[in-house]
Amino acid sequence: MPELLAAIRPAGQDFPVLLHIVGATVVFGALLTSAISLALARGEIRLLRLGYFSLLLVGLPGLILMRLSGQWIYQKQGWDDLPDQLKDPTWLKIGFIVADGGAILFLLALVVGGIGISRLRSGKGGEGLLKVTMICALVLALAYVVAVWAMTGKPGQPGAGAAATPAVSAGNSVATVTVTATEFRFTLSQASVPHGTVVFKVENKGKLAHDFSIGGKTSSLVAPNKSTTLTVTLEAGKLLYICTVPGHASAGMKGDLTVR
Amino acid sequence: MSFEDWIFAIHLLMAASLVGALVMSWILTVALRSVDTAGTTLSFNRVAMLGATILGVGLVGVIAFGIWLAILRDTFHPWDGWVIAAIILWCIATAAIVRAFAEYRKPAERARALLASGQAGPDPELAALNRTTTALLMRALASAAIVLIVIDMVYKPGA
Repeated sequence: MPELLAAIRPAGQDFPVLLHIVGATVVFGALLTSAISLALARGEIRLLRLGYFSLLLVGLPGLILMRLSGQWIYQKQGWDDLPDQLKDPTWLKIGFIVADGGAILFLLALVVGGIGISRLRSGKGGEGLLKVTMICALVLALAYVVAVWAMTGKPGQPGAGAAATPAVSAGNSVATVTVTATEFRFTLSQASVPHGTVVFKVENKGKLAHDFSIGGKTSSLVAPNKSTTLTVTLEAGKLLYICTVPGHASAGMKGDLTVR
Repeated sequence: MSFEDWIFAIHLLMAASLVGALVMSWILTVALRSVDTAGTTLSFNRVAMLGATILGVGLVGVIAFGIWLAILRDTFHPWDGWVIAAIILWCIATAAIVRAFAEYRKPAERARALLASGQAGPDPELAALNRTTTALLMRALASAAIVLIVIDMVYKPGA
């Protein structure tokens, strides 16, 4: 599910993304065919059958391919390894709701439509049940449109220029760390800092946009050859820092900072 | 979401419409091969017309928003090799889709003529038009071009 077209990904993620896109578009095409055929059938048996069998024979394999490859991407991008506050952002949750909730609705549409087709065969009606299938297919097609928007627009992900830097009060001792981001690693000017307020100056010297997340705070997304600052108050301990752009942490953009 | 994110989202929605409608056209093409009556041909044609509209919107939208995105994004340019390759493949796909669409108008016209003359039963000429090889080949060419575009977009050779 995560990260689709028009993004340059770390190695090894392109093939599962391709499978995910193929699966998603096949399901979407089958849903469109089903909804339109059933809506325009006007009692024509062959169109009613087309509406149902396009879901069963085309949509279902597409759904399975989409879901499995989505899970493969999730694993490749290392979402399971991220801290809880960064795991499953809003856009990813939307993807899971549409994929998993949608799968239940999809199966329901198949069962109801199957009964409808069986009743049609035996001449006991069944058009009403196929109307339910049509409504389910239409709802699912719309849900997939929302999912495509969520997967690409990534609502909830810090965007370029998002403010994540609170003001530092005068008089406090402040450590400053320069963080250089490239593909796909961070280089920090210091391996350890004293506890308290720390200002991270994040410089992106790579070709892709990156951010920097530590101690529950995430910087704005930094475009190539741009920089930003992130001010965080840190307790003593070993803190994980990562880039929250999907797949970047698992590709190497993560590490531990020692706070004394 | 930034303005650029919106353009990207609309570009991908258009791409989903395009590929989804292409999948739909394949389902209809396969189903239509066993149809030999005027009434059923016209029923399928009603569905195909809506599919063709979605396909058209997807075709125009994907190229317009794609080029806009390539202009907006600092990391890509409209003259990048993989972007040019996608535009060429889009032209091939569009030409093939238009040609296939013209072929599929023939059985609809024949079905209307049959109904106008009061012939509702099976018709061998209509069955042959519904099994047109030219349209099938054009659709296969368009599909191959669009699959190559998707591969090009995912792998971005040279980027």
